[in-house]
Amino acid sequence: MTTTRYLTRAAVLAAIALTASACGQGSGGSAPAGGGGESGGSGGSDSYTVAFVPKLQGVPYFEAMNTGGEAACEELGCEWLYQGPVEADAAAQSDIVRSFIQQGVDALVVAPNDPDSIAPLLQQAADAGIAVATSDTDAPGSAREVFVSQASTQGIGEGLTDALLEGMGGSGQYAIVSCGETAQNLNAWIEVQREYTASEYPDAEIVDVVYAGEDQARATQLATDLLNANPELTGLVGECTSSAPGVAQAVRDAGRIGEVSTVGLGTPQSMLPYLEDGSSSAAILWDVEALGYLTAYAGVQLASGEGFGDISAVTDQVPDATYDKAEQTLLLGPPLRITADNAGDYDY
Amino acid sequence: MSVPSPARSRGREGASASSGRVLPFPVTGQELVLLGVIAALWLVLGLATPAFLTSGSLVPLLVSTAPIALVGLGVTVVIISGGIDVSVGSIVMVCAAVTATAMTAGDVPLVLALLLSVAVGGALGLVNGVLVAYGRVHAIIITFGTLNIFRYVGLQVFDGSTVDGIPATLAVFGRGEAGRTAGVPHSFLLVVILALAAWVALRHTAGGRHYYAIGGDAHAARLAGVAVRPRVLLAYVLTGLLTGLAACFVIAQGTSTLAPNVGLGLELSAIAAVVIGGTSITGGRGSVLGTVLGALLVQTVASGIIQLGWPSQLSSLFIGVFIIVAVGVDLLRQRGRSSS
Repeated sequence: MTTTRYLTRAAVLAAIALTASACGQGSGGSAPAGGGGESGGSGGSDSYTVAFVPKLQGVPYFEAMNTGGEAACEELGCEWLYQGPVEADAAAQSDIVRSFIQQGVDALVVAPNDPDSIAPLLQQAADAGIAVATSDTDAPGSAREVFVSQASTQGIGEGLTDALLEGMGGSGQYAIVSCGETAQNLNAWIEVQREYTASEYPDAEIVDVVYAGEDQARATQLATDLLNANPELTGLVGECTSSAPGVAQAVRDAGRIGEVSTVGLGTPQSMLPYLEDGSSSAAILWDVEALGYLTAYAGVQLASGEGFGDISAVTDQVPDATYDKAEQTLLLGPPLRITADNAGDYDY
Repeated sequence: MSVPSPARSRGREGASASSGRVLPFPVTGQELVLLGVIAALWLVLGLATPAFLTSGSLVPLLVSTAPIALVGLGVTVVIISGGIDVSVGSIVMVCAAVTATAMTAGDVPLVLALLLSVAVGGALGLVNGVLVAYGRVHAIIITFGTLNIFRYVGLQVFDGSTVDGIPATLAVFGRGEAGRTAGVPHSFLLVVILALAAWVALRHTAGGRHYYAIGGDAHAARLAGVAVRPRVLLAYVLTGLLTGLAACFVIAQGTSTLAPNVGLGLELSAIAAVVIGGTSITGGRGSVLGTVLGALLVQTVASGIIQLGWPSQLSSLFIGVFIIVAVGVDLLRQRGRSSS
């Protein structure tokens, strides 16, 4: 009796631990769609296969990139493959990258969840003769030949700060609700916000930076707690697409629209109701479909070996794109400021 | 292997419930300890922060506790019966997705939205219940399976996108002004009422006591005339229904956009509340009031840390310590009982 009880207990506890870790792993290990079997790196083919692996599939942001990539391949005459893990999980993403390497695609573009763990795989792909790039999030020091950047770190950080301080009247205390604590791009933006605020707005001060993961409800609660903890607070920044509407919702719920300004990196559709009632003054983002377009273009240029000497070919779709040879970075352009007036123009 | 016993013994059990049966003490030691800890924390936080004990802080705190406590109520009954349900996070996801989609598609009145969500939750709970009660496989395996299956179903409802522009129909359960009457948040009030009802049912009805018997020793319970399978089935259906209601709370306190990661990991928060509340993870002992207090403690700590200006990562550390302390205390108590 006692033995079975202990056994059950051990089994249950082990299983809970398993669930916990499995939740992180997700069921994202599914193999990429088997389509495009003939791809193999046949040099003579005039249709290149470009595979893009997003951080996760099924979120509007990456689906919009997919739409842009598909459109680009239709115009440029390439085959676009899109497959990512169900959750933003590095191990599941690696499996998908491996599978694309085995398929022998012509160009492989990754938005890495974990830049460090993806680097050896990118090297493996490069060794197999595949053109390798990163998009949305870089893997510095890896074998990637180009990084397709949505906006410069400086541009985002300064754009957020200017938009917020405009609402706050140029001075006062504000706080940041960020998401993943290890997200390299978010942390880089926050660093710029700190420096830029200190140099350009000496009467403004960042009092706290908190992390909500990708959880909207948690972001809202953290913002509420920040408002309570700092009675002088007059500004909030939502650093990612889940916390941007979250901080605005907190201000709306607390009945403090007009007293507290918020800005964030939010998608237009999710921010629209908050931009309309004034709980958010502006969202800073970039044209995500155009980023997908540029990503597909980068894949084709690398696969064909033509490089980025003349990027005027894409100026119709992405007129502000520039190539920085020293940094090997293809930059989409300055960030967009989304307000109540233009949020309705985007369908994501 | 043994045939459930005749109605004769069930009748006896029913009779004894109304007679002067020996009941455990109304509140367990764990609940009193939790109450003390929460009261002490609130006092300290009230003194150490500018606004913790104001309604602007306490109301959001109670509102954010509500969905976890509500899911925890169902999970408590399941765990008392010797099972577990790790699929509740995915049930929240499916219910929230279906309800939010319906609300954006047409003018859905509040009652209909609630019924829809609760019905979907009940249906998913029924799937769990049938598989666990009649499948002869441990509940963790079954519900781990349905966790993934429900998640897949939910992703199909989301169809690779978010649900945008959700109307404010459910704001009566939210954090804002519409979510409270005379300063009392509706969502938390509803949780307290349901918890009291569950507490009475578990303590004072024969059916409720059966869950403790099943969790203590299912075989012996069956021999004593407890209809084990229907009881177990009911526990999972009940959990599904409560989780469906919790999904409405989740929509209400979220933003006007619902993302596919809704409910992700909620099962772990609910199980943490149950365990911290003093329910034995191996079944047979536990209390729904403890679960509500456990959920409240976790949210108090999470809020308190931010309001003190401490690093937000610390809340993971504290919750982990609470779980281990609670399970450790439970094991010590169990050891003390078996040696005496």
